[in-house]
Amino acid sequence: MTLLISLTIAVIFGAAAYLMLKRDLIRVITGMILLGNAANLFIMAAGLRRGRAPIVPSDHDLSDPLVQAMTLTAIVISFGVATLVLSVVYRVYDSHHSVDLRRLSSAEAAQAKIDDQLLPTERSARVETAEETESELEEESMLEGTRR
Amino acid sequence: MMIALPLAILWFGGLIVALLDGTRKPVGYLAVIVLGGALAATTVLGIDVHRNGTQEMAIGGWEPGVGIALRVDLLGIAFAVVSLVVLLTALWFEVSRDVKARIFPALVLFMGLGLTGLFFTGDAFNFYVFFEISMVAAYVMASYGETPRQLRAALIFIVVNLLGSVLFLVGIAAIYHNTGWLDMERVATQMPLLHENPAILTATIVFVAFSIKLGLFPFHFWLPAVYTGTRPAVAAILSGALANIGSYGLIRFGGDIFPRELQAGAGVLIFLGATSIIYGGIQAIARHTPNEVLAYSAIGQVGYILVALSIGGEAGYAAAILYAVINALNKSLLFLAASLRGWLAGAAFAVGAFSVAGVPPAGGFFGKMAVFQVGLDDRRPWIVALVFSGGALSFVYMFQLYRARFWINEEADEATTRGALGLVVVIALAIVAIGVFPEPLLALSQQASALLSERPP
Repeated sequence: MTLLISLTIAVIFGAAAYLMLKRDLIRVITGMILLGNAANLFIMAAGLRRGRAPIVPSDHDLSDPLVQAMTLTAIVISFGVATLVLSVVYRVYDSHHSVDLRRLSSAEAAQAKIDDQLLPTERSARVETAEETESELEEESMLEGTRR
Repeated sequence: MMIALPLAILWFGGLIVALLDGTRKPVGYLAVIVLGGALAATTVLGIDVHRNGTQEMAIGGWEPGVGIALRVDLLGIAFAVVSLVVLLTALWFEVSRDVKARIFPALVLFMGLGLTGLFFTGDAFNFYVFFEISMVAAYVMASYGETPRQLRAALIFIVVNLLGSVLFLVGIAAIYHNTGWLDMERVATQMPLLHENPAILTATIVFVAFSIKLGLFPFHFWLPAVYTGTRPAVAAILSGALANIGSYGLIRFGGDIFPRELQAGAGVLIFLGATSIIYGGIQAIARHTPNEVLAYSAIGQVGYILVALSIGGEAGYAAAILYAVINALNKSLLFLAASLRGWLAGAAFAVGAFSVAGVPPAGGFFGKMAVFQVGLDDRRPWIVALVFSGGALSFVYMFQLYRARFWINEEADEATTRGALGLVVVIALAIVAIGVFPEPLLALSQQASALLSERPP
C-alpha cells in the first residue's frame, strides 16, 4: 500500500514538473495545480495510523485525523492560489494577446533593450570635461588610422 | 491575550480597509494608523517578552498541547518588529505619493498579518498557513501597477514561489510523519532521536523551500526579474519584509529543529553562502538600472546570513539574526531612496550604501563585524577574506549606482513628496542610530540566539 501511494505521488509529481516546464501558460498552471495535489496526497500518506474514519466514539482503529485536517486546509489554500494565478494569466493574456512564454520573454527582451537605450542619455547628460572629449577624439582618429 | 492583539488589529483593520477605496488618501492613512497600532502592540508585547521571557498561548481555549500554540520569543518578536517597521514605511511612502490600486493598503495589512502570525506561531503547520497568507498578499502585490512588465514579473514570482511553498508543505508533512508532532518545541526535542537519513532529507527540503523565498544563489533566478519590474514601495516590501520569512525560517528551523543536520551540511551551506556573496556582488556591478543592482545586491547580502548561520554556535546564530535585521532595514531604505531626488534622498541613500558596504557610522558595520568575528573565532581566515571582498564589491556597485542616480541624472522619475523624503530620512537616521548605539541590538541578538542553542541536544 505504501509503495502504491508513493508511486502515485511520484507519477503525479513528475507529470506536474513536466507540465510546469512547458511554454504554454495554461499547462504551467495545470502543472501547478497537480503539484498541489501531489503535496496533498503526500500529507495524507504521512498519517501515523490507518483505520476507519475518525468519528468518535468508536471501538475500531481510527485513522489519523490530523493529516486529514491539514490536507483539507492545504486543499483550500491551493484552490485559492489557483484562482489567483488563473486571474493573473488572464491579465497577461489581456495585455500580451498570448499565453505563450516565448512571446512573453521576447516582450521582456524588448523592454530590457529600451532600458539599456536609456543609459546613453544618462551619459550624455554628464558634463564632459574638455580633456575627456579630446582623448576620445584622439582614440577615434587612432582607430581610423588603424582601419586605413 | 496580548499575543493575539497585533494579529487581531491587523486582521480586522485589513478587512475594513479592504472594503474601502484604497486610492483615496484618508483610507490610505487609516491603513497607516492600523499598521502603526499593530506595531505599537507588538513593541509593547516585545518589551514584556524581553522582561519576562517567552510567552505562550493556545488558540481557541484548548488545553496546551492540544490546541495550536502561539509562542512568542525574542527571535520572533525582533523579526516581527522589523517587518512591521518596513511595511509601515513602505505603505506610508506609497500613500504620501499616490496609491495606484484600491486594494494596495489592505494587501500591506494582510501581509503584516501573515508575517506577524508566522513569527509568533509555535506550530509548524500554522507556520505554513500564515506563510501562505503573506505569500498570497505578495503575489497580488507583485502585479501592483499592472503594466505588462509587472504582470510578467508577478507570473514568474507566483510560479517559482508556489513551488517553494509546496516543497515546504511536503517538508512539514515529513516532519510530522517522522516525529509525530507539529508543535515546533516538541519537534525540536524529537528530531535528534530520529535516524540521520530521513532527518537530513527533511532538512534539505525545508532548506530549499526557504532559500527560494530568500533568493540564495542557486535559487535566486526569479529575484532580479521580479524586483526590476515592480514599484519601489513593493520592492522595499518584498526585500525588506517578505524576505524575512526566508531568513527567519532558516534561523528558526536550522537553529532550533535541525541543528544536527545544519552541522552535517555546514560545508555545503557555507559554500552556497560564499558563492551567493561573490556572485551577487559581481552581477550587481555589471547592472545599470537601480532596481536590478539592488536585486543582485540582495542576493549577495543574504549570503552573509547563511554563512553566519552555518558556522553555527551561539555567536553564529547571533550574527545571522543581527545581519538579517539590519539587512531588512538597509534594503527597504535603498529601494525607497533610489526612487527619490534631491540632496536629502542622496544623503539617505549614501547611509544605506555605507551600511551595505559595512562602513562604520552605519548599522551595517556591526552586521559585518559580527560575521567577521565569528570567522575569526572559528579560525577560518577565508571567511574574513570573504567578508572583506564582499564589502569591497558592494562598495563599488553602491557608489556606481549613487553616481548614476544622484550626480548624473538630475530629473525625477515621479514626484518627490515631502512625506516620502521624511520617511526615508527617518529610516536612514535609524540605521545611523543602530551604528552609533549598537549595544541594545547586539544584546538582543545574543539573547535570542541563546534561546535557540540552550535546548538540550
